[in-house]
Amino acid sequence: MHKIMITTVLSMSLAAGVAHAQQSSWTGGDDLPTNPLACDGTPAEVAAMPYDGGTPTDAPDRMGKTLTVVDIPKLVGIGYFSATSKGIADAAAEMGTMDVKTDGPTRANIDDQITLIDNYITSGVDGILYAANDPVAIAPVLKKALAAGINVVGYDANSEPDSRQWFVNQAQFNGIAKSVIDNLSDEIGEDGAFAIVTSTFTTPNQARWIAEMAAYQQKCHPDMEWLETVEAQEDNILSFNQANTLINKYGPDLKGIVGMTSVATPAAADAVTQAGLCGSVAVVGLATPNAMKPYVEADCVKSVVLWNPVDLGYAAAYVLRATADGTLKPGDTSVEAGKLGELSVINGSEVLLGAPFVYNKSNINNFDF
Amino acid sequence: MMVAEDNGSFGRRSATSRAGFFKKLYTEYGQEIVILGAIIVLLIVVGSYNPRFLSVRNLNTIFAGNAYIAVAAIGMSMVIITGHIDVSVGALIGVLATISGTIAVSGYPVWLAWLAPVVIGAAINMVVGILVAYARIPSIVVTLGMMSILRGGLISVTGGDWISGLPKSFMISQLKPFGVPAPIYFMVALTLLAAFWMRYSAFGRSLYAMGGNAEAARATGIPIERRTMIVFMIHGAFAGLATILFATQLQIIQSTVPPNLELTVITAAVIGGVSILGGTGTVIGSTFAAILFATIGSALIFTNVSAYWLRAVIGTLILVTVLVDVMRRRNKR
Repeated sequence: MHKIMITTVLSMSLAAGVAHAQQSSWTGGDDLPTNPLACDGTPAEVAAMPYDGGTPTDAPDRMGKTLTVVDIPKLVGIGYFSATSKGIADAAAEMGTMDVKTDGPTRANIDDQITLIDNYITSGVDGILYAANDPVAIAPVLKKALAAGINVVGYDANSEPDSRQWFVNQAQFNGIAKSVIDNLSDEIGEDGAFAIVTSTFTTPNQARWIAEMAAYQQKCHPDMEWLETVEAQEDNILSFNQANTLINKYGPDLKGIVGMTSVATPAAADAVTQAGLCGSVAVVGLATPNAMKPYVEADCVKSVVLWNPVDLGYAAAYVLRATADGTLKPGDTSVEAGKLGELSVINGSEVLLGAPFVYNKSNINNFDF
Repeated sequence: MMVAEDNGSFGRRSATSRAGFFKKLYTEYGQEIVILGAIIVLLIVVGSYNPRFLSVRNLNTIFAGNAYIAVAAIGMSMVIITGHIDVSVGALIGVLATISGTIAVSGYPVWLAWLAPVVIGAAINMVVGILVAYARIPSIVVTLGMMSILRGGLISVTGGDWISGLPKSFMISQLKPFGVPAPIYFMVALTLLAAFWMRYSAFGRSLYAMGGNAEAARATGIPIERRTMIVFMIHGAFAGLATILFATQLQIIQSTVPPNLELTVITAAVIGGVSILGGTGTVIGSTFAAILFATIGSALIFTNVSAYWLRAVIGTLILVTVLVDVMRRRNKR
């Protein structure tokens, strides 16, 4: 009898929850201030921030000279960092004044990475490019490199600002948000309704992207309807189930699903595929190209938003060259980066890669990560 | 709820009265009935709030959604009923999915890709079973170790790469015979098979005796060590069957496992009425519990209730179930 009573109470509380449920406008984003970009793609006004990067001690004049550079990613042997290394090598070949070699740990381990950097400081290099496995733990060895007169530039994963000169930032939250919402509105129209599948409401990056997406959508695509945001952990089957439930709940009203992770986006695409709704329900999302190839090739997904790691490595190499030449100095607001053109300086000592990259049927097979 | 002593009597008892029948049904299957009731109440309440909740499509989503968890929970229930636990099942399913997917994309026949996880799952868990039964290491310790081995091995071997390009014929979970998703057939058939086996076979019934009072069971001549090992092997085979459902649902097999999958499976068993102390419970209950989770999850979306409630509700259910179980045992003493 206990159990009957308890279950009754539970069902009643659940039913009460149902009765009180209201259409909430809560999107699943965080409460931090947002900074939506201009609708037409005008770069954001950059609030001037004093340079907070480090400075190498007694660096020799490297203007125009051939640089010996080592690239130390988080780890080697995975597609993502093979792509950044390729970008660095491409840039070096284009410049003709940079001898670059990639040498990273075989697993994403900060201790291995520190040892490697230490060895290259001893052996003597002109420049170090890195993607940090740990922003704090890597700082002392990078400071040691600066003290030895080496130019230090980070990409992909930052360290404490004063332990390097510049960091090439692959994407800002508002840039990703703009790209996702713009691509979505292209596919579902200015009055389309969409829902989001994310990992959890408290995952920092996802919550930030969502908050910026909500702000940008309100500002630039006010007639689109944000139906709701559902959580699916990092669970592929749960993501699939949640996407299906959204399809079931909204029926033909649902025009688009946005996946916020490399787990959620392919699972949502699979739900749409298996429901036979490719073409009626668009899937746009953040994901790696490998995760999305089957759906992009089947024409079920048109745009996958992420940055391009080849461009990221390419930009990092140009930033290092400009730093060594002295053409990128503290206080500058932009830097020339070969075919990528002029890149802006943000946050004091970061260089922004630019608008995110959209993977689609025409380019996705050029990437393997 | 069933207890070890009167286990098996249900089938032989002659119905004296209708009231007696229902009383007996409730004492033996109390938890199962409560959970089934909760599912039905939810379906009715939420269905009247939003009729689309009861659409065929959504019912398919609900019942198929956690089918692989229900299948894994069958083996888990057997392990818990015999007085043990397995926290490595999530990692095992991840490893088996990668093995199965690798076989499928390497051009071998798909039946081999389906058979492999079942056989390898049983083989891996035979090791666990031997360590638990013969080396007498507590199962929580053995399976914690196994979890680390499997997780670490999976990442090392795959390097985090995902498997794609799976052949269409491999995707058994995507089939829909008579409009019903294939995972539902698997879930129902395997649950019934296991339930009958546990209720009517001597081996199946001995599991309750082993979990209820191992020494008494030994005294009646049950070969406890051998059967413990076999139970772990059966559990491994069910994990392999769950893997088939898991790996053939999407066009990509990830080298990561859903976080806390083992906990979800254990939770399904416990809420389904399997006593965490061993000796009682049925796999019908654990399957109902897996369906209940999916129903609650879907209901929360349909009613715009925050998904945080899912965790809160399931957490409450666990505490209540275990509390009731402990109180019942204390009263009997």
